[in-house]
Amino acid sequence: MGTTTSRHTQAVRWGGLALGTAFALAACSGGTGAGTAGGGDSSGKKATTIKLVAAEYSKDHTKAFWDKFATDYKAKTGNTLEVQIVSWDDIDQQSSTMVQNNNPPDILNLNAYASYAKDDLLYSADDVLSDSVKSDLLEAFVKSGSYNGKMYGMPDLSSARAMFYNKKLFQQAGITAAPKTWDEFKADAKKVSALGNGAIGYGLPLGPEESQGEFSIWMFNNGGDWKKDGKWTINSAQNVETLSFLKSLSTDKLTQNNPGKTNRQDAFDLFASGKVGMVVGFSPLAATLDAAKKVDYGVAPMPTKADGGEPQTFGVTDYLMAFKKDGNKDAVKAFYDLYYQKDQVNSFIKAEGFLPVTKSGIEEFKSDTKLATYLETLPNAHLTPTDDPTWDKVKLAVQQNLGTAMTGDPKAVLDKLQKSAEAGG
Amino acid sequence: MTQTASAPVGATGDPAAPTAGRRPRRARPRRGRASLGQALLWLGPALLLIFGVVVYPAVELVKASLSRYSITGLRKGDAGLDNYTNVLANESLGTVLTNTLVWVVAVVALTILISLGLAQFLTKEFWGRRIVRWAVIVPWAASLVITARLFSLIYSYYYGTLNAVLLKIGLVDTPIDFLGDDRWIMPSMIAVGVFVSIPFTAYVFVAGLHAIPTDVYEAARIDGASPWQIWRRITLPLLRPAILVATVLNMIYVFNSFPIIYTLNESNPGFSHDTTITFMYKLAFKSAEKDVGQSAAAGLFNVLLILVAVVIYLRVSRWREEEES
Amino acid sequence: MNGTLSWRRIRPAAMPVIGLGVAFAFLWPYLVMLLDAFRPSGDVVQTPASILPREWKWTTFSEVVGDERFRAWLQTSLIVALSSTVIVVLVAVPAAYFTARFRFPGRIAFLFLVLITQMFSPTSLVVGIYREFYALTLVDTYQALILTNAAFNLAFAIWILHGFFASIPKEVEEAAELDGCGPLLRLRRVMLPLTLPGLVTATIFTFIAAWNEYVVALTLMLSDEKKPLTVGINSYVTGYEQNWDQLFGASIIAIVPVVILFAVIEKHLVGGLTAGSVK
Repeated sequence: MGTTTSRHTQAVRWGGLALGTAFALAACSGGTGAGTAGGGDSSGKKATTIKLVAAEYSKDHTKAFWDKFATDYKAKTGNTLEVQIVSWDDIDQQSSTMVQNNNPPDILNLNAYASYAKDDLLYSADDVLSDSVKSDLLEAFVKSGSYNGKMYGMPDLSSARAMFYNKKLFQQAGITAAPKTWDEFKADAKKVSALGNGAIGYGLPLGPEESQGEFSIWMFNNGGDWKKDGKWTINSAQNVETLSFLKSLSTDKLTQNNPGKTNRQDAFDLFASGKVGMVVGFSPLAATLDAAKKVDYGVAPMPTKADGGEPQTFGVTDYLMAFKKDGNKDAVKAFYDLYYQKDQVNSFIKAEGFLPVTKSGIEEFKSDTKLATYLETLPNAHLTPTDDPTWDKVKLAVQQNLGTAMTGDPKAVLDKLQKSAEAGG
Repeated sequence: MTQTASAPVGATGDPAAPTAGRRPRRARPRRGRASLGQALLWLGPALLLIFGVVVYPAVELVKASLSRYSITGLRKGDAGLDNYTNVLANESLGTVLTNTLVWVVAVVALTILISLGLAQFLTKEFWGRRIVRWAVIVPWAASLVITARLFSLIYSYYYGTLNAVLLKIGLVDTPIDFLGDDRWIMPSMIAVGVFVSIPFTAYVFVAGLHAIPTDVYEAARIDGASPWQIWRRITLPLLRPAILVATVLNMIYVFNSFPIIYTLNESNPGFSHDTTITFMYKLAFKSAEKDVGQSAAAGLFNVLLILVAVVIYLRVSRWREEEES
Repeated sequence: MNGTLSWRRIRPAAMPVIGLGVAFAFLWPYLVMLLDAFRPSGDVVQTPASILPREWKWTTFSEVVGDERFRAWLQTSLIVALSSTVIVVLVAVPAAYFTARFRFPGRIAFLFLVLITQMFSPTSLVVGIYREFYALTLVDTYQALILTNAAFNLAFAIWILHGFFASIPKEVEEAAELDGCGPLLRLRRVMLPLTLPGLVTATIFTFIAAWNEYVVALTLMLSDEKKPLTVGINSYVTGYEQNWDQLFGASIIAIVPVVILFAVIEKHLVGGLTAGSVK
């Protein structure tokens, strides 16, 4: 009996000792250890292991691609690529934690880069992109990836929005072609809503998840923009008109319930249920619809405010940015060289169901007729001002406030956003 | 297993345990007194864990709250008390504090009341009790993140089971927008908060009830006391320590409960239905502030708020008297 | 009196029925979840809602279990939760017993310090935790997660056990002391059996808390196979692709180990003082 008892204390004491040593170490090295940015490589030496923090687009493709990519990378360069896959919901927090501890990854996959470039944390394309790679990237994305005249945001993939419509509901409502102008659009939405039985004219997501995207595509098709000639134009007359138009859809009951509190995915789910006449979608939605085979849908260019206007598409890219760390430049450069090889970048994009970012990619994707609507417009895609670090904050302000215009005053909401943008976010 | 479990666990199996002279009995006076040295021996491991894993990051949190950060998380220099004054100046702070008060008081009070009844029931002997006990633990066993996601589907205006049932039995004509209608959001979140807090609380009470000696009840019954009198005069006072512990811990957990509010409130713009903990998170990552310094300051305010609330509760319930008696 | 009599008569039948109602009240959301696991993902978010699946899909569970990634997450969760629980019990029992039985300088301060550690949400501490374990080169190791979980759940175990130790009449222990037992022996032979319900509660509590921990694991665990279930199952539903069926199937499986643990030790919730004092 006595033996077991003291064995127990012994264990506790040993445990305490072990813990104590561990934390004594922590106390000594906590301050300095965090200062040695570089993930294990001492300065002057060349890094042989680099770390990628990648966002997860889909469960079955993202990790599979990066795992294989790491193998290829090792075979080609002899370097090791450590991959951490993080969900989109958490990647901001993860990257912030790493930067706060002066331990950023070597490559980070995110939907923004300009603030990082402004903080002078990133390599520019001049440092890490080969000329052949850079000249293959689509102009629109080189532009949106450039801060102060230098490119920092290397695009990993892109998407473009278009109008999805439910053919069956259109037929029932007697609509023969997708709307070309806002007037036609509203008339069509009314016809679909009038069908009853839960039919919704237009799925309008202005909730905090991505309201800037929905608003962007409508504002671009009314000749508006977030910024013009280097000045913020959030509360321009066209933009107030656009937001008022969206509000009128809600007050006329042509949208789903509570559009100011509806996130993108909810609108997509409603469309996939066959209850929504029209929704602004992109290729991943098409993939979901094709897999479920429940809704017969068409894809058309966006309607414009002006009769006979040129439809604008809203394009989005995500970025692979590279952090400046001692000795990692060559390894990072090799990473980009490999990533932008046609068989790598395009197979990633295909697997995830997105659109290419390179000229050669467009050529390769052309054979896919389903993507024709997007591919034509992609080189001229209109993007949000991701090249301005202020946008990284303005975007958040837009997401948190735009929805309130559905029950409030659109002009007041936009005035407030304009003010905060002018104040630097 | 062993290599992962680190020293404390691995050491348990060490058979080389000397028997003599291990007991800290040295000149111990009458029962109940002990020296600081002895205390350190018994409390040492706990103190090490706490100081190592909680206190060090807490110090880092204080440092962060006094620093100026770029939105990327890069430290730009000292901020003095700016982060604190900015948080206090936030126009949504009043709403957030009111939401927090409603949330904490409602969830804790309802949880304690329902759990008291449930614990009584679960200590009765009846056929199938074990199954019921297993069932009650499930909301606790399930990850909060998942339960929150599940409820955001159940509550959904368009594809929620709850609205489907309410419509089917004719209780409502049109669906209720549980997560979008300002009148319904908080009650809907509170219902989930109570739902997931009950199992833990009920089992604290079940354990407490089992610790009450049965002969006390026998004596009271022989004296002719009614069931209510027995509960009021015997059960409740003897359950007091358990109720105290359950209330204090629930207060802390409910204050810090993140996934329910974050997930169920996901599609609502602004801070109108946030509590201090989601406010803190959004300050760092989701709102236009996007400032980890302000978020750290808000995090410290949050701890202070909990501390004050707990101290007030302990004062009111005279916990120290109990401790010292 | 009459009322009591008739209650006596119907009690054997009524209690199980009430029990069934109680069980249903706690299970129904998870029944919804189970039904959602048995329908194609698109059917979960179909308007109008249907309570039963419009289309049954029986392969979800075999898909989930057949997935190597899922099995790795499950293994991590088990390792981390079990190890954290063992550490918490080993560390909390002496601390709780000592604070309940002995007066010493700083006793109240200690109990309060323990409580305060609970007031910091891991969300706000995660940056410091990362810094610490990075300095110790323990990022992406089980040890880091186990130590963190143990530290954050210590408070509950100490408090609950403290309450139990304190509620045991001193006479019980005094009798043992007269028999010549030192404090350690008294703790093991007399006190621990008496506080078994508290010990069981603390064990269940710690296991569940560690099992469901999210934010620290998210930050510290970089390799996919070292992620616990809570973090891993994020992958089923992303902004671009939703597998609700698999998410819920995986979540149902994640509940099972906890319920099994509970089923195994639940009977010790009963016993306590009566069982102990018979001796």
